[in-house]
Amino acid sequence: MRKLIQGNEAVFRAAVAAGANYYAGYPISPSTEILNIASAYAAAHHHEFRFLQAEDEIASANAVIGASLAGAKAFTATSGPGFSLMQEAIGYAQKVGVPSVFVDVQRVGPATGMPTMPGQGDIMQVKWGSSGDYTPLAFYPNGVEEAFHITIQAFNAAEESLSPVVILSDTFVAHLNEVVDIDELIASAEVVPRSMPPLGQHEAGSPRFFAGVLMYESGPSAGEPATADADEYMRQYYEAKHRHVEVARRYALYEHGWNHDADVLIVCYGIVSRVASPLATEYALFRPIRIHPMLEEELREVAAAYREVVVIEANDGQYADMVELAIRREVKRVPLLGGRISIEAVRDGIERVLAGGPSEPPIPAAPAERVGPSPLEVAG
Amino acid sequence: MPELAMAELGYKKHLKVELFPTIWCPGCGIGTIMMQLAIVLDEMGLDERNTVIVTGIGCTGRMGSYLKHESVYTLHGRTLPVAEAIKTVRPELNVIVVAGDGDTASIGGNHLVHAIRRNAPVTVLCNNNEIYGLTGGQTGPTTPTGTKTLTSPIGNPNTPINLQGIVRSSPNAMYAKTTVYHLLHMRNAMREAIEWGGFAFVDITSQCIENNGRRIGFASANEMLTFYRKTYKRAPKGAEVLKAFELGTVYPEGHPSRNGQTDGAGASHEGPVASAVASNTGAAEAPASAPAPTLAPAGSAKPQASDEEKARRRAESQKKLALMQQLDAAVKVRVAKGEISLPDALREAGIDPEALT
Repeated sequence: MRKLIQGNEAVFRAAVAAGANYYAGYPISPSTEILNIASAYAAAHHHEFRFLQAEDEIASANAVIGASLAGAKAFTATSGPGFSLMQEAIGYAQKVGVPSVFVDVQRVGPATGMPTMPGQGDIMQVKWGSSGDYTPLAFYPNGVEEAFHITIQAFNAAEESLSPVVILSDTFVAHLNEVVDIDELIASAEVVPRSMPPLGQHEAGSPRFFAGVLMYESGPSAGEPATADADEYMRQYYEAKHRHVEVARRYALYEHGWNHDADVLIVCYGIVSRVASPLATEYALFRPIRIHPMLEEELREVAAAYREVVVIEANDGQYADMVELAIRREVKRVPLLGGRISIEAVRDGIERVLAGGPSEPPIPAAPAERVGPSPLEVAG
Repeated sequence: MPELAMAELGYKKHLKVELFPTIWCPGCGIGTIMMQLAIVLDEMGLDERNTVIVTGIGCTGRMGSYLKHESVYTLHGRTLPVAEAIKTVRPELNVIVVAGDGDTASIGGNHLVHAIRRNAPVTVLCNNNEIYGLTGGQTGPTTPTGTKTLTSPIGNPNTPINLQGIVRSSPNAMYAKTTVYHLLHMRNAMREAIEWGGFAFVDITSQCIENNGRRIGFASANEMLTFYRKTYKRAPKGAEVLKAFELGTVYPEGHPSRNGQTDGAGASHEGPVASAVASNTGAAEAPASAPAPTLAPAGSAKPQASDEEKARRRAESQKKLALMQQLDAAVKVRVAKGEISLPDALREAGIDPEALT
């Protein structure tokens, strides 16, 4: 049935279609709808789906880890500040190899920032947020139907890579309502089954020890700490890295569209690509859907045909840095900060940087008079 | 001593003895807790299929690697969210959290408060050594006022956290206080906590001689154990609150043990358990008669022995022990190893095995 569905709801419906049966979360705008929908769903499907409203995002993330080890397909959703609190657990899930899905609906940070405004400031937090080295997988849809597909793929990639996969979203994608055929989407979902035996269903006589600390996992020293053995570290590190890269290869998702014959390539992702779409006749578009690992080869190949590359994003050049590294040439940057993601800001920004101007837009002086409450506050 | 040999063979099933010696310092109390836990697991018939160990960071956290059980060595302070989720997804598993006082009550304090609020049906064994031992001896949440540590060189100015009070803020949670000196009491408290249907917390005072004891004037671990022997006394039956240096178990209001009908640690609990497990975590909400959730394989729910059943089992094991004592030591070892059955051994010794029944 064709129905009007919100981005956040699409993520939840897809998670269930992908086999998710555990959700833990903590309220935070603009991801809260997923928590609400999950609680209602759990109440109605008690034996198939478990729900925890945790005391904080640290608990949510760790509960997802526990649930996954116990055999559930588990996920959580949050926004920037909550995602920061989850970073330690995400590192643990990377180290231990816990299939899980983390949804980060981005708003404007840092800190509490602008809670209801859309941002894309967590692109680098996904990559570097926890301590140490790891190879995260992250996807970023730009619409409701795509959010559904990406969520299915994120759960599949989590099982295949044995790692916490991140779905990036933003206030606009999360709250976007679009008509989709939800039944058709659910029916067509291709789902990878659970990949590791749940706790207690291990090979007889070989109970497992899931540890954040480096241990010998097999061989004559199994169970001994390997906390001073660089070789063992590298064996485990590269095994995980190669596995993640191999899985990522199966999900090399991007869009190369708009006017292929233009001489300027716009690189943008998530909601920015929707907002900028009126420029489709003037420019070419490269829209990465798989944000991490970076689509280096794909982008290099596409970008080679264009005179200029302009990266437009709702942060101060986080992805642009990665683009420059990948294509090894200077790119122009249009940062859309403070939640001002509008076609005007996009158009002005492109014109400014293509004319040789700075990435920083002209900013009016602070108002001399008191700024009243925002229209939203007045209405609310 | 053949009797010891028998006990040893039983609990060793639960230990990865091939990894011994452990990383713990000589004189540490954690090994004692681990051995008592292994004995309890053995006595209760719990095994690697139905019991999962979740540990925190710190010296205590390493216990999981020495137990022959599936085990999750979590991040520092995060045992409870992990344990609660495991129990939610697989309610048929016994989930036992083993963590130190710093892990449980300081960095994990918020999770402790809320796991208690939700009555997460997990068992917490808290190795309470009143210090951060692994990092060399810093003030912990349970360090007594005035104690000198690396980070309180002129004495801890703060009062220790009230674990009993926190646990008992819930109308459903059970709290037991024991020490590593009082082994039988510790085992009874552990057993009772594992059998408890909701949140159960065993606060085990133990010694850290290397990074605390010596600094506060004890010459050896033995001196610390002697101190526990001399200072800790059993609380009066039916005590509603344990005072300082009192051993015992305290129950939610309305629980039969609350009025002293039963003997604290070792007593059984059926009364409020079923209603006690109402929480929003899912698993516990299902009525006892409900079909097993589809998430979990059916038919392995933890049995709750009745008082009569326990008395019967106790009488049976005492009878068995009395008969065993009439056997030759070498024969007892063969029985313990399973080379010969007890009735056969009795028959060989000219004792009627019917006496067993």
